[in-house]
Amino acid sequence: MQRIAKVLGLVVALMSLWLAPAFATLQVDVNQGNVQPLPIAIPDFNGAPAGRDIASVVRADLERSGLFKPLDPRSFLEKISNINQSPNYANWRTINAQALVTGEATQQPDGRLRVAFRLWDVFGEQQMIGKEYTAAPESWRQMAHMISDDIYQRITGETGYFNTRIVYIAERGPLLNRKKLLAIMDEDGYNPTYLTDGAYMVLTPRFDPTSHEQRIAYMSYIAGKPRVYLFDINTGHQQMLGEFSNMTFSPRFSPDGNKVVMSLEKGGVSNIYVMDLRSRAVTQLTNTRAIDTSPSYSPDGRQITFESDRGGTQQIYVMNADGSNQHRISFGPGRNATPVWSPRGDLIAFTRLEEGAFNIGVMRPDGSGERIISTGWQDEGPTWAPNGRVLMFTRTLRGGRGSQIWSVDATGRNERRVLTQGDASDPAWSPLIQ
Amino acid sequence: MSPSRSTTRIRISLASGEGSRSSSVGLIGAVALHLAVVVVGLFTWEHRLDIAQDSPPVVPVDLVTIAQKTNIAPTVRELPKVEQQPLPTPPPPPPSVQAPPLPQLAPTPPPPTPQPKSELAPDVKPAPAPKAKPVPPKKDMSVDAALNAALNAPPAHPQTRNGRVAPTAHRGFGQQNANDMDLRDALRNDIEQCWNPPAGAPHPEQLIVSFHLNLNPDGSVAGSPQLTAESQAAAAGNPFTRAAADAARRAIYVCAPYKNLPPDRFADWRDSVVQFDPRDLTGQ
Repeated sequence: MQRIAKVLGLVVALMSLWLAPAFATLQVDVNQGNVQPLPIAIPDFNGAPAGRDIASVVRADLERSGLFKPLDPRSFLEKISNINQSPNYANWRTINAQALVTGEATQQPDGRLRVAFRLWDVFGEQQMIGKEYTAAPESWRQMAHMISDDIYQRITGETGYFNTRIVYIAERGPLLNRKKLLAIMDEDGYNPTYLTDGAYMVLTPRFDPTSHEQRIAYMSYIAGKPRVYLFDINTGHQQMLGEFSNMTFSPRFSPDGNKVVMSLEKGGVSNIYVMDLRSRAVTQLTNTRAIDTSPSYSPDGRQITFESDRGGTQQIYVMNADGSNQHRISFGPGRNATPVWSPRGDLIAFTRLEEGAFNIGVMRPDGSGERIISTGWQDEGPTWAPNGRVLMFTRTLRGGRGSQIWSVDATGRNERRVLTQGDASDPAWSPLIQ
Repeated sequence: MSPSRSTTRIRISLASGEGSRSSSVGLIGAVALHLAVVVVGLFTWEHRLDIAQDSPPVVPVDLVTIAQKTNIAPTVRELPKVEQQPLPTPPPPPPSVQAPPLPQLAPTPPPPTPQPKSELAPDVKPAPAPKAKPVPPKKDMSVDAALNAALNAPPAHPQTRNGRVAPTAHRGFGQQNANDMDLRDALRNDIEQCWNPPAGAPHPEQLIVSFHLNLNPDGSVAGSPQLTAESQAAAAGNPFTRAAADAARRAIYVCAPYKNLPPDRFADWRDSVVQFDPRDLTGQ
């Protein structure tokens, strides 16, 4: 009896030892968080005044993205004198900076400006990026935007969009004699320039997506007839795409820059055509008794999304680049127009018309996941940033108070105005410069 | 005579019975009417006391600074080419500045983690795992002796004096029992306060990252949290995963030290694997 008890006791003791943990590893699953702009410290770069100006542009770029919160330089505890030395991380942790940017701008003997910067992980106590740029001094804004893109990309994983330009229609003059000029500006609204003089009306400018060319396609009413034109920004040279006897609308480049897809009107109906820019051969892609217009290529060039009212109301369709497999993808309420395929390929932006209001929305290319992301009264004509994350669009104000360009994140956050001199509309976003 | 008296009595009793019945009827009726008044009052006056609930819609306001006016250039110039090249990594900081540099992130191969036994074997006396294994009962060993040996084996949790991580033995699935739920919740709630996940990035399933986290008894982070091998490989190949890993690592550091973990159960929360999964939050 005792023996049995002892055996049982031994077995139990052995089992408990076997099961007793040496060290347990806790498994923790974190799936809730606090989406906040990242607090980042960007002191003025060394080398005034360029260093101060460049840091100011970088702070403004990152703040404008809605994903960063540049801290007030007056709260900084340390002055960085040598960017090639690790900073005193504790000083930056104290003010709750999670990232730090240090930089310097120095004049080179050949007259060019060299801008060097480092991005530091304050809590991880190490450098994340170290890079330098050299260019003519008057390109300091562009270098600042490139630095912003580097920081943005390293922290978010997304490619940046600050080193880009926006081509748009600037409106001038009284309501009854409005002149529409083709204009171009930096993505942050600086350096606006007029490209035409307003003698003739210009509509729907679109960039050539191949970045080495700075070409735009747009509609113009020269001699009272609407035509599609190509405009080279650098040379100012303008050429008509073709002698069409019919009205042509809403031109867009293919991703390789070799083709322009557009709609041609004939006898009251409008169909989609594609022109090869090298051979000038024109191919008809849709053939319906409806209004098919506003085509846009997918980033791989294999599909085209467009707007059609063949079903009775304006809706969004997708087809292969050769015109086959035309199928509708928008089935939500209201009417849907002006589809634009994101450069990332995962979303199509569009204008929703419902109950008298126009708003910007996005949906997946199969039509699912539809979301309305703008909140105005008349928001239309979206254009994508080259990273497929941010959009700009035209917002018309009630009561004839003119039109403005606004931007919004594809998630619907961070809706804000892009400041322009006077009224502006029809923005088109360039690819990353260089 | 008696019949008349009895009838009288009967009559009186009947009369009193009726009287009491009528008075009880009256009482019931009075109570019912009072109740009715109260109920009616509740239903009508309650609404009169309602205060209109609609408040004006909240209009978010953006404070936008007006950009400086710039001159309009007469022509557009081609932007000059910009040369770019990477800067050399900074020299190691002079002794006066800072602590030794921490291990690099991916893509460099992970430095030897503090986990393996080597450095710390001298400090930590009884290595837990091997000794804790059950002694296989030998045939020629008496039961008494075996029982005594098992019962007298050294405890499995040595105390560490310094903040370094001692060798661990991961015993697997049996460890996660209901008692650890509160520890998981405590650590998770703390880290969630500081986790700033990448929102709006594509393919949220590629943003899931896991870290080995070692904590000191005071709740501070011991060493540097290391990505698991699988997450390291994912981060090396995908800038979004790498950004997610950075955000997770920042969260771990920013919310340290973790004070909501019971010190007497340090062994249970000293080592953890923390997985960050943003699928519920990102984009759509």
